[in-house]
Amino acid sequence: MKILLLFFLLFSFRAFSHPVIYKGGWVFSSMNMSELSNNYLMYSITQKFSLGLEQWRMSQSSIHQEAGFLKLNHLLWRFNQEDSQLNLYLHGGAGLGDKKFSQDKNVLGFMTGLEGDWETRNLYVAGKYLQFHDTFFSQVRFGISPRKASFEELQTWFMLQGLIAKDIQDTVMITPMLRFFYHNVLWEMGSSTRGDWMLNLMIHL
Amino acid sequence: MKALILTSFLFLSSQSIASEIHVKVKGMVCSMCAQGIQKKFTAQKAVESVKVNLDEKFVLIHTKKGEELSDEEVTKIISEAGYNVAEIKRK
Repeated sequence: MKILLLFFLLFSFRAFSHPVIYKGGWVFSSMNMSELSNNYLMYSITQKFSLGLEQWRMSQSSIHQEAGFLKLNHLLWRFNQEDSQLNLYLHGGAGLGDKKFSQDKNVLGFMTGLEGDWETRNLYVAGKYLQFHDTFFSQVRFGISPRKASFEELQTWFMLQGLIAKDIQDTVMITPMLRFFYHNVLWEMGSSTRGDWMLNLMIHL
Repeated sequence: MKALILTSFLFLSSQSIASEIHVKVKGMVCSMCAQGIQKKFTAQKAVESVKVNLDEKFVLIHTKKGEELSDEEVTKIISEAGYNVAEIKRK
């Protein structure tokens, strides 16, 4: 790694939902693909705002980009209905990216993003767009759960992810995956149509 | 006099019996997210036990003997967990 990730400054990127949870809650998340990874630790100051640190990596044979941020997430709008929940989040932050993020020099800059999701107990739709300098990351997800698990049971989802990250892929990377969660732990496993693996983990504390 | 004694007895008895609070919650579709509701209520001194029912969309809270949670406190806890209260019933 050629950069000085000495400190993280403000807002950033996310792998899969839950940037803000209950007041006083912590979220640790790690999303890992061969060409992309994203790790963060967020603390929900209130049920509307969370603050934390996030790290981002994009790499391919000829490209390696990495950045770290201090990030603020805002639950802009939540619509709770009897059988569904709709969320809209804003992401913002500042941090340090390595020189590939800005052609031959390390850069201090801001990132911004927008994310939304809608879910019932057996349907899930989500989308997000995140940008840092001239690099962006965009993702959509669709999920179906064949069974409505109870509060104490293991929940299983079949999901399809479409992802595009500037400089890494020129086309959308499609990744079918399995999502599981049990109590406060969520994990996902998948492999893209190109054969790239994906392993994700999220814990609410 | 008898009525006074009886009333006093009933009043004091009601103070020492644990109560059951049945809270209908809107937006509770994800068991992982709803862990926050359980965690928040469990942290309350007055709470003996909490059960979350996703099928019926309610949270059942049993308070300790002599302890109570007001509707305002229940609503605040549910709100801080990210949800909305639809109805509160007590037994």
